[in-house]
Amino acid sequence: MELFSEIYSCYYQVLRHLLSGRNAVTIQDIRNRICDEGFEESLLSIIPKLESGAWDLFRRDGELYLSKLAGPVTVPLSDLQKSYLKALLSDSRIGLFLEKEQLETLNDMLSGTAPLWKPEQFFYYDQFSDPDPYQDETYRRNFRLLLHAQKKNQYVDIDYNSPGGSRVHHYYVPARLEYSIKNDKFRLLALKQAGHGKMKLEILNVARIQSIRPAEKKLSAPVDLNSVIRASYYKEPLKLHIINRRNALERAMLHFANYEKNTTKIGENTYECFIYYNQSMETELLIEVMSFGPMLTVIGNDKFLNSLKTRLQRQMSLERV
Amino acid sequence: MSDFHELIGSFPKTREYVRDFFVYGFKTRNDFKDKSPRTYDNERRRLESWLSPYIRKDYVSNGSNISLAIDSNLLDTNPLFRVWKTKSFTDNDIVLHFLILDLLRNGRTMTAEEITDGLLTEYEILFDIQTVRRKCNSYAKEGLLHKGKSGKTVIFSLDNSLAVQLKSNESMLDALAFYQMAGHFGIIGNELAEQMDYPNRTFRVKHSFFVHTLEDEILFDLLNAMNAEIEVQLEIKSSRNGSRSGTIHTANCIPLQIFISTRSGRRFLCGYVSRSKRFTCFRLDSIKRVCPMEKSEIYEELAEQLNRNRQKLWGVSFQNDEGHHLDTLTMTLQIMEPDENYILERLKREGKGGTVTRTAPDTYVYEIEVFDCNELLPWVRTFIGRILSLQCSAKSVEQRFYRDLETMYRMYHIETETN
Repeated sequence: MELFSEIYSCYYQVLRHLLSGRNAVTIQDIRNRICDEGFEESLLSIIPKLESGAWDLFRRDGELYLSKLAGPVTVPLSDLQKSYLKALLSDSRIGLFLEKEQLETLNDMLSGTAPLWKPEQFFYYDQFSDPDPYQDETYRRNFRLLLHAQKKNQYVDIDYNSPGGSRVHHYYVPARLEYSIKNDKFRLLALKQAGHGKMKLEILNVARIQSIRPAEKKLSAPVDLNSVIRASYYKEPLKLHIINRRNALERAMLHFANYEKNTTKIGENTYECFIYYNQSMETELLIEVMSFGPMLTVIGNDKFLNSLKTRLQRQMSLERV
Repeated sequence: MSDFHELIGSFPKTREYVRDFFVYGFKTRNDFKDKSPRTYDNERRRLESWLSPYIRKDYVSNGSNISLAIDSNLLDTNPLFRVWKTKSFTDNDIVLHFLILDLLRNGRTMTAEEITDGLLTEYEILFDIQTVRRKCNSYAKEGLLHKGKSGKTVIFSLDNSLAVQLKSNESMLDALAFYQMAGHFGIIGNELAEQMDYPNRTFRVKHSFFVHTLEDEILFDLLNAMNAEIEVQLEIKSSRNGSRSGTIHTANCIPLQIFISTRSGRRFLCGYVSRSKRFTCFRLDSIKRVCPMEKSEIYEELAEQLNRNRQKLWGVSFQNDEGHHLDTLTMTLQIMEPDENYILERLKREGKGGTVTRTAPDTYVYEIEVFDCNELLPWVRTFIGRILSLQCSAKSVEQRFYRDLETMYRMYHIETETN
């Protein structure tokens, strides 16, 4: 079993789509497909192979190309893929997706396959100890309703217990289900009408949802979720200086790898890093920066710097009581 | 650059480049001192081609920097999965791939000779029978084809039923959309979902560390060894001396478990080193090669022993600098009741079973006994602003905490408030 194999390659996927079409296509159609699905320079490799007939997979009719295959391409699963699927069937979250009968059917189809891994072979040593209740029937039902509504752009009426203890009742369109490995929890990125035809983003913990009622209404026009998220970022990013001692640079770069960031070298051994974030990430980012101690220096923005100084000031006053 | 090819034959070399670009994102040609300019140019051009939608270019005084602009909050896929889809192949490979699968569709069973004849009669392409047989055998080994016998004759067939079932099973496709983002070997889930033409548009991952997909080949070899309960020899590149100039050394161990940090995404192999009679963790991104050795006769016993030892493990270190078997860390915190009760929740949720005791109004003591208290310091620092005192049986840990605090006070000009 090979993980790095041409059968999973980008070029094979592009060709699979081109060959599955039943209609003759022009070389321009082929170019367009390669530009959509291939790498930036794939055109330079694939087109000459097709034009020269080195990849003799099309019948030529003048300027037109027609697949030689008898029907659409269905590639069987490799042993590696089967083994991967088998491992997923033992995951604690699989019940969010599959009913018991579906699970049994797939287990039967994979009866001769060994799982690629067993859950006990992995250990998240710093994962929080209060995961969402994946085995709970209400949780599963809510999860599936959200999943369905998200795919259909459908409004749902959500009854929610906020972390502050208040009960909230609103119509939302589920935009994404966000999973945190650290918390082992799902959150719902939900869009809510904010008046004047605008939508705003709210984040709800799936485990705090009391009930969900699907509504008839659907989102009338698509919303660019990433624009909404980007618009929520502070104009001034967090600015850090990192002096590369004791592997600090690599550690910081890996630690903050999940943020949008930009790093430049500003001195022999000093690097400047900008991290973009919004209000909902602020406390977590502050805690992460504090965990590095003096290895990182916060330069700005003022708000972040002041939050850090306030904590340090409070710490000093506790020590010097 | 006439010898430029977009695809590559082997993954390990590229892994280094991608990792550097991902992690540092600012190296110029001059930073790659141990590579020829041509090698650098070709590698860089490949990366720019594979990852073009995510590349950011900045022009600086000594050349242009390229970096990867990847914000996991904004992405429905891991951009580095594209690196796994770059394996080179021959003209025969790709032509035979599609034609053999087409020929054997609808449950046909054929010998290599019949397949060779079919390729000529049905698609008008002449292949050498040895080439066809080699490809069929290779696909049988990968599981794409079934190889059987009819009497003494070797026959090939394919079974599409699982692929068909999967394609029509929306629930399982949703599961693939999720697990490619959040599970182990996300690349396999991604390729499967792509094969089913079902891209993820539903799930995001909050703490996602995309770079670690590059270690999946090493992880794959380690899991194979773990499943077979065999000892391995690891080729390890030191990460301390800079990412490209580290020296290579080898270590033998019995691989037992993969440890993962949710905060950095870093993965470690936890293995038993017979020579030192210790459990030891090795960073996956420092392992260059895994060579299988002998089967271990005490695998189960070691796995149980590790399970017991894990109770006293904070991170990945089984020993401390002071030669103690175990050390105790005691942290006294000011937590204003009831407004700051969420801090208590944090201690319970993140404190790995350490005890939390209320000793006075608004005062709580957290205490834990672990192998290496040094590993606790990053977590302890997240409580800065509430720590009344910190004591540790490893005095160096205690001293380091207060020394670092003093450094931070100086860095940020924090002074005692005077009323």
